[in-house]
Amino acid sequence: MFNRLSIIIGGPQGAGLETSAQILTYSLAYLRYGVISDREYFSNIKGRHSYVHFNISSEQIPTSLTYPVQLIAALDHETVFTHFDSLEEGGVITYDVFTEEKTLDTTPSMEEDLKIRLRKIFKELGIDGSIKSLVRYISEDKKIHSVPLNYSEIINEAAKKLVLPASQAARYVSSIIIGAVSGLTNVKKKAIEYSLARRFYDRPELAQQNKVIVETVYDKVVREHGPILELAPSKLNHREMMIVSGNDIVAMAKTVGGVRFQSYYPITPAADESFTIESYEKLEVDGLEIGSILVLQTEDEIAAITSAIGAALTGARASTSTSGPGFSLMVEGLGWAGMNEAPVVITYYQRGGPSTGLPTRGSQSDLLFTLYASHGEFPRIVLASGDHLEAFYDAIEAFNLAERYQTPVIHLLDKFLANSIVTLPVPDLSNINIDRGLIIHNGGADYKRFNLSTTISPRAFIGSNCIMWYTGDEHNELGHIDEDPENREKMYRKRMEKIKIADEEIPEEKRLTYYGPEDADVLLVGWGFVKGVALDALKTLAVKGIRTAYLHIRMFSPFPSKSVEKLLERFDKSKVITVEHNYLAQAGKAILINTGVRITKEVVKYTGRPIYLNELVDGVLKILKGEDRVVLTYGP
Amino acid sequence: MARKPSDYQSDIWNDWCPGCGDFGIVAAMYRAFSELDLPPEKTVIVSGIGCSGKTPHFVKVNGVHTLHGRAIPFATGIKLANPELTVIVNGGDGDLLGIGVGHFVALGRRNIDLTIILHNNTVYGLTKGQASPTLRRGLRPKALPKPNIQDAVNPVSLALASGFTFVARGYSMMTEHLKELIKEAIQHKGAALIDVLQPCVTYDNIHTVEYYKKRVYKLEDTGWNPKVEKIEEKEEKIVKAWMKSQEYDDKIPIGVFYQDPHTPSFEERIKERIPSYLETPPARQKIEREGKTIIDSEAFRKIFSYYIVETE
Ligand SMILES: Cc1ncc(C[n+]2csc(CCOP(=O)(O)OP(=O)(O)O)c2C)c(N)n1
Ligand code: SF4
Ligand SMILES: [Mg+2]
Repeated sequence: MFNRLSIIIGGPQGAGLETSAQILTYSLAYLRYGVISDREYFSNIKGRHSYVHFNISSEQIPTSLTYPVQLIAALDHETVFTHFDSLEEGGVITYDVFTEEKTLDTTPSMEEDLKIRLRKIFKELGIDGSIKSLVRYISEDKKIHSVPLNYSEIINEAAKKLVLPASQAARYVSSIIIGAVSGLTNVKKKAIEYSLARRFYDRPELAQQNKVIVETVYDKVVREHGPILELAPSKLNHREMMIVSGNDIVAMAKTVGGVRFQSYYPITPAADESFTIESYEKLEVDGLEIGSILVLQTEDEIAAITSAIGAALTGARASTSTSGPGFSLMVEGLGWAGMNEAPVVITYYQRGGPSTGLPTRGSQSDLLFTLYASHGEFPRIVLASGDHLEAFYDAIEAFNLAERYQTPVIHLLDKFLANSIVTLPVPDLSNINIDRGLIIHNGGADYKRFNLSTTISPRAFIGSNCIMWYTGDEHNELGHIDEDPENREKMYRKRMEKIKIADEEIPEEKRLTYYGPEDADVLLVGWGFVKGVALDALKTLAVKGIRTAYLHIRMFSPFPSKSVEKLLERFDKSKVITVEHNYLAQAGKAILINTGVRITKEVVKYTGRPIYLNELVDGVLKILKGEDRVVLTYGP
Repeated sequence: MARKPSDYQSDIWNDWCPGCGDFGIVAAMYRAFSELDLPPEKTVIVSGIGCSGKTPHFVKVNGVHTLHGRAIPFATGIKLANPELTVIVNGGDGDLLGIGVGHFVALGRRNIDLTIILHNNTVYGLTKGQASPTLRRGLRPKALPKPNIQDAVNPVSLALASGFTFVARGYSMMTEHLKELIKEAIQHKGAALIDVLQPCVTYDNIHTVEYYKKRVYKLEDTGWNPKVEKIEEKEEKIVKAWMKSQEYDDKIPIGVFYQDPHTPSFEERIKERIPSYLETPPARQKIEREGKTIIDSEAFRKIFSYYIVETE
């Protein structure tokens, strides 16, 4: 029995893989397993290869993905070609027997680069390159257990049972994957039934039809192969689990945090967040409305940020959500918010750049951009979350900080987080505070929006009982244009000093976390989605006798300079390593700028795929052997 | 006691060039505001960048002087977050029809209850006289090194094509007439455009006061009925108005070209989905109770039950 399993399910985009992944995750959560899954896909709607990579545990909620995997469930032959070498010895592959004669030449959707690499491998292995030859090779040489299934037979059988035309039953082909995975891992049928009913709550006939396929396959694999990868019963004892993507959890957090105006222009991987908020536009509890949220799809990201700022001026908590190309368009608006001390939240899901880059793949290459975007100087707060739970709390805190310091807040996330689905205990809401900052409801006739008597001026809302002016030009206390040098100096300083106040008020321990033994020898430094894999790497490295710690940075502006500097001092310079999803090791640069300390060792990855535990551990070992920089590339 | 026009005048010295058409626009605004007795704290002027962009500083109501081309989306956020506000946009022709034209079109599609006052001076005033999108091809106002080789966009035609439900043209030197248009536009429930012919005395030596004096005539004097009386008439009226908008050479019509009170405003469309929207819009909702979120653990579980699995 397995306490931990890594699984890949793969198939063409648009074939229902996402639904299968969702149902499997629900089923695993129902049985109290911890799950994290990453979805990898092309910028394409139908036909290109996509896959979901799961890490399942009976002992904890896993935080990272790793290779090799124990099971590959292939909806098509491209999946077999793409992933066969990710299998662990003794692992299992299930695939469609109908594809056995397929070769790379009959796989037009595959990119040529991979075909070239594979042809070379096949030649070296001396195989003809058909699926059949490949499966035979891995069965014999890598002791892979193959579970061939006849997909069309299964579909026809199910169609007969359901009295449906085969063409309609064929639409549920991805349920074969659910049946195979659950049969092989001994996920109970009851759990699958529960998940199907949940997923298709509004269309019970679909639940029923899919169930027939799942059970046919389930019974078949158990009968013919047994539950080869049987999961050990879970030791976790949650009564309830949430199943959420990063987009989902941020949408929920904004709702809790009181967002009332959310604008967006569609972009991967941010748009789903806005859709989720929109589906909760009426916040109802027991049929009673406790609030509502206006979600506005704008004509572009310029309108997204400027309309959000406009809403913020009237006192609504307002945010927009985007990715790199969209943020590039927002930059001028960001500066206006900085100049006018407007509290607006920008949720920023990084993806591979520059330009359109890798639109559906992950990246952390926009840190320096967000820290300095827009002309002129103005304070901004930049938060970066490392996992779903952090993202939840940070998304709420972003509004508090924006209103407290009257600045734009950028909440940095990434595609890895946006699209990875995890099981998660329901977050504790009891410690969440809503801090609206200095608000004046009774500004009256003498109100001055930019009153210089305090660094953070009391903020009245447009529509309250006073009037006020705002302008992107330098302005006086009233908000009228003013180019006087003395006024300029005072106003400029007033704005800039807000970040100093934030720096004094926000405890540094909230801006970073140190994980691992106090007397560690090696220090990994990272941010964002690196957190999960870094934490797992600490454990793996500890087993190898390397005492490692991880410094997780959660706020880059204001930067927790003192703590970072102090921490870095404790370590031998050759054993401090930044781990990042970018080329420049940008957090390392931010540390250098803020503390003067240069980190010279780096493990970076910019292929758009997440950093996997196995490669991170290898990378750290290489650095400890003397390398300065390791570039990771694992994962198809 | 009703507010006087002078009550709306701010203390800021007006730095437009002496004789600029913008003075006529702001004067018409003071008078319109006064006649409508708009409460200054519930009124917002949103502007872009340009000579026209300075308008809010000269008026004693809330003023939001934004970015070049972006007054409409700023105003959109303000209005939708607090629909009880009267929101007016002042923008240049470069601002609204050049850099910001996408927002202009989007506003028409939404029909938000905003009044757009377009300062149409055929030039980029504040950057010293370059051609604006309303400058016709072949013309060469004095700052241009060469005649303009881009065609002009017609604001009235574009507004009609975009879905604006109130489309008018005014002339800054006829402040009484312009004042009436502003009042009507503000009272109209939906997106309203007033294309204001505004002589730029410094850079536009073509479209001068004399130029307009010879050409401008009032639509209402010709018996023009802009109003879509019944929704069935919409198509016919919009076509007529569009044809009329093409008249722009020897004679230039001013007045209301088109008014459709039937197409629902964006606010009404939102209300269809969120019935409480107008009573408790985003800006007027309470989001905390003694510093705590109004969504407690129990409410959270109920709202987001879709995401929560009760384990076996
Ligand atoms: C993004 C951006 N580009 C360019 C400018 C420079 N700029 C300032 S005003 C202006 C044009 C103003 O022309 P118009 O909108 O017609 O207003 P007017 O001055 O004629 O009233 C330009 C291009 C700017 N402020 N912002
Ligand atoms: S440049 Fe033209 S538009 Fe600008 S203030 Fe002077 S006259 Fe008016
Ligand atoms: Mg102009």
